[in-house]
Amino acid sequence: MEKKIRIIIGKTGIDGHWRGVQSVSTALKNAGVEVIYLGATTAQTISKAALEEDVDVIGLNIGASYEQVEKLMTIIKENKIDNILVVVGGTIPRTDIQLLKNMGVNGVFPPGSKLSDIVQFIKSNVERK
Amino acid sequence: MAKAPKDDIFTKKTFETLSGIPLKEIYGPEDVSNNSKIQQIEDAGQPPFLRGAYKGMYRVQPWRIFILTGAGDIEEARNRVAYSLEQGETGFLAECDMSTWLMYDVDHPDVVARKKDVGWYGAPVMSLKDYKNYWGNLPIGDVYCHTGGVLPQMTPFFISCFLALLDERKIPIEKVNSTGQGDFFISYLSMLHPSLIPPSAGLKLNCDAIEYTVRNAPSITPISMAGNNIRECGANSYQEMAAILSCAVDHIEHMLSRGNLTIDDFAYAIGGINLSTGSDFFEDICKIRAMRRMWYKLLSERYNAKSSKSLRLRVHAIPLGSIYTFQQPLNNIVRGTYTVLSAILGGSQSIGTPSFDEAICTPTKLAHTTALRTQQILMYESGVTNVVDPLGGSFFIEALTDEIEKKAWDYMKEIENNGGFIKSIESGWLHNEISNESLKNIKAINEGERKIVGVNCFEVEEEPYQFEPYKPNPRTWEIAMKALQELREKRNTKKVEKAKKNLFKVLKESENSMKATIEAVKSDVTIGEIGEIYRTVYGCWDAPKIIGL
Repeated sequence: MEKKIRIIIGKTGIDGHWRGVQSVSTALKNAGVEVIYLGATTAQTISKAALEEDVDVIGLNIGASYEQVEKLMTIIKENKIDNILVVVGGTIPRTDIQLLKNMGVNGVFPPGSKLSDIVQFIKSNVERK
Repeated sequence: MAKAPKDDIFTKKTFETLSGIPLKEIYGPEDVSNNSKIQQIEDAGQPPFLRGAYKGMYRVQPWRIFILTGAGDIEEARNRVAYSLEQGETGFLAECDMSTWLMYDVDHPDVVARKKDVGWYGAPVMSLKDYKNYWGNLPIGDVYCHTGGVLPQMTPFFISCFLALLDERKIPIEKVNSTGQGDFFISYLSMLHPSLIPPSAGLKLNCDAIEYTVRNAPSITPISMAGNNIRECGANSYQEMAAILSCAVDHIEHMLSRGNLTIDDFAYAIGGINLSTGSDFFEDICKIRAMRRMWYKLLSERYNAKSSKSLRLRVHAIPLGSIYTFQQPLNNIVRGTYTVLSAILGGSQSIGTPSFDEAICTPTKLAHTTALRTQQILMYESGVTNVVDPLGGSFFIEALTDEIEKKAWDYMKEIENNGGFIKSIESGWLHNEISNESLKNIKAINEGERKIVGVNCFEVEEEPYQFEPYKPNPRTWEIAMKALQELREKRNTKKVEKAKKNLFKVLKESENSMKATIEAVKSDVTIGEIGEIYRTVYGCWDAPKIIGL
């Protein structure tokens, strides 16, 4: 039997809006991905949980600054766990997409991204990693 | 090249509104026989207020241009509000940081862990000193103002700061015209945060403010239920209407159970609401018209209210930012224009507009100015202010107004069957209802069934223009922290402790907390300290589990 892809999802901010993250999570579950949802989290907490849960993917819902993304990517590099795919989504200006990719983020999904594209990206890139 | 949709909308066979109400090809006299007797339709300002809250409407009083503003540190936020007023905004709504919403001081570990996020959506306000620094230099008393305080747990703190500020500046309360917020929809529906106090405690605090302002500051509307916040989360129009009315019922019942005031004393304090306008132009016009009539019926039939002040619903309309697209963002100016127009045609007292960069960042100055000009062009150039309720009497408009009203009453019954508003958010029933609606809509857009220009049709490979997104002052946290430290060093600790103890006692004994909160803010007790007292007395909300998360 094929091993299910596991993703851990969290929000880097403290605001708690759930509509966007819920739609992505639902699409992933419908596509057979196992989703663990952390709610509001920090780089430190989600990276620790990612290791404990042995996930393939970390998904971050971001807004505001990229402080937590930067911290997460540093932790990933330091701990040599870059086999974990990192995808981020949220209100991200077009001009910042490259900036996030330069930090080492694998996939960036701004508003209006198709849910099927997010699912497809995760499925094909987890296989490759 | 921009791609046209494969399945042309002009070939579709069934027609319905966004909330699913079936639409006929053409409407006639037979469609309006029941509720709206067009031949005997009442004037605006007359019960049931279908055609408008006031006689003469925009001929007498143009709608208020009231746009959400303020991000960065306090100085930056205040300057943006001041700029907006200079440019012709006629009321101001100054936003605060998320840490303020959660009643955290900026040295709370959850905020310290995200220092660089502070200021992105609003300025952090932790004390009366911060409040005076932000609001104190704005023309309170000359223009309509929002007292601040988005969530119910923030209501007493912000109203207290506002009253303390008026006191200090010797502005008579009769001279000000203002509203608070205390919105349940953003607090407990569209957000789920484990540090919020439970909904029942939020209701108690909102009602404390209602009771206090009715007696001492009647020119303040202390709360404003915000339908836009449930809509942004995915609800449809009649769910929005029903949720507002059942939330109002819970407030009214709580106020009546206190036995201190009659319905006609306090109904006006709940009767100023926010309604959204979104991508169904006619449905949202009808929603605003129907909502006034429903309010009238609810207050007169269920609560036997008599005064027109109680029976008249005032509406601040908020065009939805969630219909704005990330792709080809200048197109959002058009979306803003038609949603402001539906707010006007529905007869709103006040209108906000999102900025065209809504899906990209906190509004830049250019986008903010354009949002303001959109309303000014409609107000000064288009002629829409000349005639009251210009669509009233249209077979279609009256039929759809009747139909959406019927749907909303039915849905309100469903909420009541689930225990009423507060119970239905405690159980998560309402969240899951709304999220089903949201997922259905996202699916329709993803699969191209609902067309969104630039997103699933007429897409472009290369965006035709780029602009610099808004970024707040990166030192916002440091500036707020310095102000907090200074406050803590300089304040009278004895007074602080006494005020905190008193507030704790008043809450424990379930008394009205407003006087104790006013004393606390005047003694420089911070929002984080008051929040801590709330969390000790009420505990934190055990938020419901939502499908998919």
